[in-house]
Amino acid sequence: MSTWISNFYHRNGTALSIFLLLSVLFWVFILIVLPQLFMMDFSFRHNLPPADIGGAKDVYTLENYQYMIYGSAQSEGSYNTVDLTVFARTLIAAIFVTLFDLAICYPIAFYLAHSAYGGAARLMVLSLIVPFWVNEILRAFAFRIMFGATGVINNFLIWAGILDQPYDFIRNDVALYAGLGYAFILLMIFPIYNTVESLDRNQIEAARDLGSPWWRIHWRVVIPYAKPGITSGCTMVFMLTAGALAAPQILGGPSSLWFTQIIYQWFNTGNNWPQGSAYAIILLATCIAFVLIMMKVFKVKLGEIAR
Amino acid sequence: MRSETFLKISVGAFVAAFFAYLFGPLIIMSLTAFNSSQFPRVTPWECFSVEWFDVLINDAKLMNGLRNSLVIGFGVILIAVPMGMAGALMLTQVGRRVRPWYYTIVISPILVPGVVLGISTLIFWDRMGRMFNAGYDSIFYDGIFLTILGQATFISAYAMLVFIARLQRFDPAQEEAALDLGATHVQTFRKVLLPFMKPAIGSAAVLAFLASFENYNTTVFTILSDETLTTVLASKVRYGINPSISALAVIIVSLTLVGAVVYEILKRREQAAAKESELVARGKVEKRRRQSPLFLDPAMIVAVLVFIAGTGTVYFAGTIGLEECKAAVLAEKRAKTERAIKERQTKEMFRQAAPTTPDPYAPAVEEAPKVEAKGTEGYRSIFAPSTLEGMAGQESEEQKENVEAKGTEGYRSIFDPGNLKGQAGTEEKKP
Amino acid sequence: MSAGVDLENVWIKFGEFIAARDVNINIKEGEFFSFLGPSGCGKTTLLRAVSGFLEPSEGMVKIGGEDMKGIGPNKRPTALIFQNLALFPLMTVWENIAFALEVKGVGKAERRKRADELLNLIALPGQGDKMVHELSGGQKQRVAIARALAAEPDVLLLDEPLSALDLKLRQHMRTELRAIQQRVGITFIYITHDQGEALTMSDHIAVMREGVIEQVADGTDMYDHPETAFVASFVGENNLFKGEVSDINGEQAVVDTNVGRVRARLASLPKERQLETGDSAFVFVRPESLKFANGAEADNRIKAKIHQEEFEGQFWQVFLNVADGAKKIKMSLVNDGSDLKHEVGADVTLTFQPELAVALPEGPLAQE
Repeated sequence: MSTWISNFYHRNGTALSIFLLLSVLFWVFILIVLPQLFMMDFSFRHNLPPADIGGAKDVYTLENYQYMIYGSAQSEGSYNTVDLTVFARTLIAAIFVTLFDLAICYPIAFYLAHSAYGGAARLMVLSLIVPFWVNEILRAFAFRIMFGATGVINNFLIWAGILDQPYDFIRNDVALYAGLGYAFILLMIFPIYNTVESLDRNQIEAARDLGSPWWRIHWRVVIPYAKPGITSGCTMVFMLTAGALAAPQILGGPSSLWFTQIIYQWFNTGNNWPQGSAYAIILLATCIAFVLIMMKVFKVKLGEIAR
Repeated sequence: MRSETFLKISVGAFVAAFFAYLFGPLIIMSLTAFNSSQFPRVTPWECFSVEWFDVLINDAKLMNGLRNSLVIGFGVILIAVPMGMAGALMLTQVGRRVRPWYYTIVISPILVPGVVLGISTLIFWDRMGRMFNAGYDSIFYDGIFLTILGQATFISAYAMLVFIARLQRFDPAQEEAALDLGATHVQTFRKVLLPFMKPAIGSAAVLAFLASFENYNTTVFTILSDETLTTVLASKVRYGINPSISALAVIIVSLTLVGAVVYEILKRREQAAAKESELVARGKVEKRRRQSPLFLDPAMIVAVLVFIAGTGTVYFAGTIGLEECKAAVLAEKRAKTERAIKERQTKEMFRQAAPTTPDPYAPAVEEAPKVEAKGTEGYRSIFAPSTLEGMAGQESEEQKENVEAKGTEGYRSIFDPGNLKGQAGTEEKKP
Repeated sequence: MSAGVDLENVWIKFGEFIAARDVNINIKEGEFFSFLGPSGCGKTTLLRAVSGFLEPSEGMVKIGGEDMKGIGPNKRPTALIFQNLALFPLMTVWENIAFALEVKGVGKAERRKRADELLNLIALPGQGDKMVHELSGGQKQRVAIARALAAEPDVLLLDEPLSALDLKLRQHMRTELRAIQQRVGITFIYITHDQGEALTMSDHIAVMREGVIEQVADGTDMYDHPETAFVASFVGENNLFKGEVSDINGEQAVVDTNVGRVRARLASLPKERQLETGDSAFVFVRPESLKFANGAEADNRIKAKIHQEEFEGQFWQVFLNVADGAKKIKMSLVNDGSDLKHEVGADVTLTFQPELAVALPEGPLAQE
């Protein structure tokens, strides 16, 4: 350790050593590690008025976590079905959105990498990026306009005679899933595109030459090769979907909640920060578990996921 | 052979459908900004109008949010870019055993949900504030400060990834060469490493700003009592919508498009320059003096002209003949409403004798003459159509939106006088 | 100005790995000194210790008689030419050359003037405004030299600077480097794994193996009087016969080998390494020292069968199988019309003069 410091100093000189060390220490500890630890600490405490904080009543408790499972103390015995359902629904919906994105993005990524050339390919890549830089809220807003009772889609369906009454896409969460799927398309396409692009075309040609039908070429050659990209894309999309807040707030039906919305409520209207922290920790733990599972099952490194 | 054609057609159809999914919502949203209708929609099309842009610019809340967003964006650039660079440089220097741990920690903010980052930042600084006994007006409770830190936590990781990619192409021997030639460490950093990193610094700064500008999940927790553009937008969109938000979308989409075009032009120039210098090195051609400056690039000139012409055309089209068109639409609607009222009156006449239940439309009907009187004043008539529509019972959704708007936090809706001030040009009236 | 470099009892360790062990070398000022060794022998590490990028774990590096401990690379009177040159890609050629002046705060006009002078020295006049990537490999090479010279170093360190060039350019640059060194008159320390480069350019050569200096000598001594088995097998080509010393006879050793009893010159070594009767020994004979026997010789007769002959214009290279056929040896014959009457497959007897062969203690050999 001390030799490392002396080497580090020797290599960077005084001013740079100080800049590098201070920046990294500030980032790692003040911005990343300590806030997470404080949040975790906070999640094990009672919700106290400011005057009592640090006082005799400020002791550790598991009640915030128990609440997630059993509900409030009054309703003892039964489970907190509301929150548990929302939690499960969020995860299942996130998986569904991830699979939906994978299904539509894989062909596009492959097409971009191996069928589009030169200017056209560049134009396509650029036009993939453009929607991504439009504000998240505005993207959700666009879907709200599209799927509204008098929106383009309802009007079209009525005009075409498929519907005679406007269908409430928002109440039925169709708008929400379409909007969530839309929001993270780019994060699915680019990792896949990057891996597929480096695949040698000759491998595909060779497989075709051996009489393989196109679906088998993909199943046996392209997909195994693109596995790190697919894993990375799926992980990112899942995490962002499960952690999304804006789209569920804007596109979610009145009766359906997203898990992040419950957290948000604990902080804003519920005014119970420790409870919210506990829920945030649960979300965080779920996401960490998901990443670890993905790394284990698909045998990829963390560096390959976060790029 | 036939199956191949079939495959080709279906691939083409799929790509087309995909891009329709990608652009359809944005195009439709953009179009709604130019429809004079009170509710953002394309059909029925009323009048081509740019008045929603006026509404947008005169929305004090949005403009305040925009100002905060810009401050935060630049704050994040100032913190995240140097920190990301320090993080990337550190990665090249930490020991082999520490490196995976270090990398996991600094990359984790990208994977951690934004809400978690926001909450942890909020709690950490709240605790710090308590520890130092700081008041609520201190920096520990400053929404902008907290938001900058909260966003910098993960945006630094984005910046770091940009720098790592660039550093992979850096030959560390260059630093040693500079030192060996007598440069100090700071000189080496400034004259060798920084110039090499310059493009990456540019991209990281743009990326940091954009990521900060559109961030919602972290900001909504750390911003406290302040507001940024996104949080204002979000509350607007949640509690009642009008096409001025579409107008904002049009501006953002066009800025993005302009950015994309400029980027493309820059990239082409870079490639041309690289090609030329390669030929020079092989002795095939003489070196040309210099590339023409960017603003003289033909592609750039064309792009600027198209942009100016487009904006101008849209602006004139959106103002000329607007009043006539609106008057016509209004007249048509009024006629429709009158028909509806008459029909109802006729019906009621038939039901005279029967005990009447309170008519939910009654108050609105009473309001109608008042509106008609005002309608002569041109722009104020904006008030009218929606009232009439609501009364006519055609716009259930719009009505719902408005009711919702009224019900929640007294949020500004189309009925709000504050919204009218843009068109009416009256003095600011806070609700 | 020029300065000598002394390495005194230098050890360099990276954890368990020892990159240099007890190196003692004295390089005189104004000398062209080469470190020659296979890759991984520690020669680059030693150079980095001289330039100041790393401190020796033990021992002392002196430049111009001064201990360099704690003095960083930017404060040492050395300039290093990197293996990959490490030119600054974002600067023009002249800015690269004038970099050392720029960091000293020399004004722009002065810098430009000096850069132009150096461009003339390296025969690239008028190329100052080009970018580095617009130059060819040999031109980049020369710019790197000019850039280092602009720092007015007392010692110029060169880390295999020619390895990236093609053969023809490499041979040309050898001559040019030597010429530049003689013109500027400063000490050059040159690192290479190419013995041709070391032999043609250097005043003195140090051969290194696994962190140890095997021998320091000038080119002819290194070739004619190798002091270790490694040097004998690494520098130039050599035929090796293993055996046991049966007798020491003044300047000569008699060694029993598997091809018979041979006499060879006894290498003059420090007392503790001197061969004695009964020791295992290696006898090295250069291909050009082997001749066909004419029957008059009493000793050093080796029976062999010609396996293959290669004509190289000036020389014939003849490959032979010795004794049981397990061992191959090589001889080089000057193409003067004599001696060349043997066909492939012929059985022949070879001989050599004892003073042209050398008997050395057994030791590690260079990898083929």
